[in-house]
Amino acid sequence: MTANIERPQRNHGAHVAELCLPLLLVGGFCLATNLSVWFRNWPGNRISSNFMRIALGDASRLFANQFFVKADAYFHSGFYPSIYDNQQSFKTPHIAEDSGAMKGRNTGDETRFLAPPRNWLEAFGREFYPTVHTHLSEGGANGEERADTVGEILPWLKLSMELDPNHVQTYIVTAYWLRRMGNIDDSEQVLREGLKANPGNPKLLFDLGRLFFHGRHDSIRARNVWEAGLRDINSLPLPERTNDQNSFSREQILAALANLEAAAGNTNRVLSLLQQLKDVSATPDAVQKWIDDYKSGKRE
Amino acid sequence: MKNIRLVAQVVLKESIRRKDFYVLFVLTAVICLVMGSVTFYHDNQIVRYLKEICLLLIWISTLVIAITMAARQIPVERESRTIFPLLAKPISRTQALLGKFFGCWIAIAAALSAFYIFFGLMAMSKEHSWPLANYFQAVWLHWIMLGVVIAMSLLGSLAFSAVSANVTICFVAVTFILMLGRHLENVAMGVGEPVRSLLQVLFYAMPHLEFFDVRDLVIHDWPPLHWLTCAKATAYGFVYGAFFLVAACLLFRRRPL
Amino acid sequence: MHGTTQTENQAPAPPQAKDVVRIEHLRVEFRSRELRQESKVAVKDLSFRVGSGEVFGFLGPNGAGKTTTMNVLLGFVNASSGEAYLFGRNVREPIARQRIGYLPELTYYYKFLNAEELLRFYAGIFNIPRGEVERRLDSVLKLVELEHARKRLIKTYSKGMQQRVGLAQALINNPDLLVLDEPTSGLDPVGRMKVRAIIERLKNEGKTIFFSSHELGEVETVCDRVVILHEGELKEEGSVKGLVDKYQCNLEQVFLKVIGFQPEQL
Repeated sequence: MTANIERPQRNHGAHVAELCLPLLLVGGFCLATNLSVWFRNWPGNRISSNFMRIALGDASRLFANQFFVKADAYFHSGFYPSIYDNQQSFKTPHIAEDSGAMKGRNTGDETRFLAPPRNWLEAFGREFYPTVHTHLSEGGANGEERADTVGEILPWLKLSMELDPNHVQTYIVTAYWLRRMGNIDDSEQVLREGLKANPGNPKLLFDLGRLFFHGRHDSIRARNVWEAGLRDINSLPLPERTNDQNSFSREQILAALANLEAAAGNTNRVLSLLQQLKDVSATPDAVQKWIDDYKSGKRE
Repeated sequence: MKNIRLVAQVVLKESIRRKDFYVLFVLTAVICLVMGSVTFYHDNQIVRYLKEICLLLIWISTLVIAITMAARQIPVERESRTIFPLLAKPISRTQALLGKFFGCWIAIAAALSAFYIFFGLMAMSKEHSWPLANYFQAVWLHWIMLGVVIAMSLLGSLAFSAVSANVTICFVAVTFILMLGRHLENVAMGVGEPVRSLLQVLFYAMPHLEFFDVRDLVIHDWPPLHWLTCAKATAYGFVYGAFFLVAACLLFRRRPL
Repeated sequence: MHGTTQTENQAPAPPQAKDVVRIEHLRVEFRSRELRQESKVAVKDLSFRVGSGEVFGFLGPNGAGKTTTMNVLLGFVNASSGEAYLFGRNVREPIARQRIGYLPELTYYYKFLNAEELLRFYAGIFNIPRGEVERRLDSVLKLVELEHARKRLIKTYSKGMQQRVGLAQALINNPDLLVLDEPTSGLDPVGRMKVRAIIERLKNEGKTIFFSSHELGEVETVCDRVVILHEGELKEEGSVKGLVDKYQCNLEQVFLKVIGFQPEQL
């Protein structure tokens, strides 16, 4: 007599599901690895190591500009016009104007952008926020700030650089103020970061050359960098080569190279450079005077 | 006075036993500590950006705590019916309301102390100085401002039926005043009538909470305010706080529970 | 057959020196905020008194105006006209509530406090001296059998425990007048018995008890006098025994007759 053992019925649906799941996983993994290669090569991808730029998208440039202005506000220890005040004297941020990174367009009295108070409430309200024009580099709010207090503007400049790495002025301004604080190494690092994001940019190359020449007293590297800048400008197509920005940069580089060669005693080279400068300068008469003075030994 | 004190103690106990403050404090502390651990260009003494971020977080957190705490007091008591056993005791509605106000105000003072002590320690760790007068004025004026906001929120809790409506309106009003209060006259000059007159009336009528915002002076190491100015601002805050409280008391006395 | 109002059968009694509760021509009208809705008169020209030491039942069907009248007595609602007094003081004055204890129907208390903190808070409002507070705390917590849970937060209490906390806070000031709104509502038979026992005890101590209830069997057992309200008007008033004798039926049937309920309506 055999026992009547009931076998459990096979659940075909469950078996199929058990088989499909690993198949789907493997299939998905293969597809992902295949597509990731394609995605990296796809021009439309926005992979970046900078999370903030990804999160903000195109608005990152707006924020970058805002933080650049914030740095200027910090430079003035909080005394800064709002969008409702007269901004004529703050069109060009003073941190940029002082560094030479941007051409100044400021007009009017920078100490008086606030109009006289219209009533007692407004007058009383001015007790509670900064209303005196100061620069951090000149003593700051209490007139006794250390020279390196100007470093307080750096976090906002760094943030601005992160968000808009193509805004060259930010690197130049940052590098300038780092140099003013005596931080040559970081100043060079900033300019190099700028060049990484904007390869061959003549303004950055000029500033880097300045750093080598005045900061590190390294004429050879300065010369190399400036000549590289000149080559980059000359290699540009004509319209771009002769635009305001590049023309100005070329003038700056030629003048700097001329000074460098004069310090090295390379007379012929100096005259050649000054001649090139005269050909492109907006003030050829001044350059001619320079040539004449150099020839006569009045200027070295 | 005794009844006011007793009600205030109950409000304080509630605020301690709820978790709102602790969450916001921890959040503020974590964000500031993370930001403070960053070094810019090998300079450990850069501190003003950190002070600004910390103070901004403190202002946001304390406004959230103050407005939500005050907005909930009467409506939640009504909904949960705890107001009936309270007012069945020999305590007037005015005393109950004032007790709520002082309870909220004292609770926010405790929160402010904790926040500003953290702020002071964090700033001191970088700049190695502790401008006590500046910090005291900042805390004091901030506390006065929050007193006005709490009174405003209590009035709103009696005027508006929903807590969420009151909270939203208070937040919008406070943000509007803090951001635009100083510039309202400028804006008014730029528009035509009748909007200009309306804005000017608003400019004079509204509580100028921006008077109590001395963050820029603290961040950028400006000298402290003249103590008389601080006293005037305090008096200004008391006037507006009293106005909102009186209005709230009158409304509370007239409304059936 | 409808019950007759007190004003038809007898002139209002002269004010008694020991009147604990006195209501005179009370009218409460609620104005509607909606444009086309008429205002609602919840209480119309109500007058009655409660003497010292009485257990007074306040009866009426739902919507009769009982809760509104109690709310006026407790100061939650302002009367449109008429006056109400507690111990000779107008109910609008907070001091009128110094000698009363109130137990609401729905008992909700601050969940973030424990029983001891809650009672201490209320004791403070009553201005009970510090030494006396400890004694009273122990006494009422023992009475309502919550000694073991005095340090636990009220939010951890069961419904029955919350109702007992309610009773404790109503008794903390050793009140001369206890106002109870549906005191046995939602209680199990044991709970009801305990509440009845407490009412009896307080009555024996000479306290005045003013309570509304739908448990007419209970009212008949405990109360000395009752009033019956219907549609905001006082329909009948008198001692329980007097009304039962007058209508020759139990209190429940008296109630139904007074409010004009016909069994055939079912």
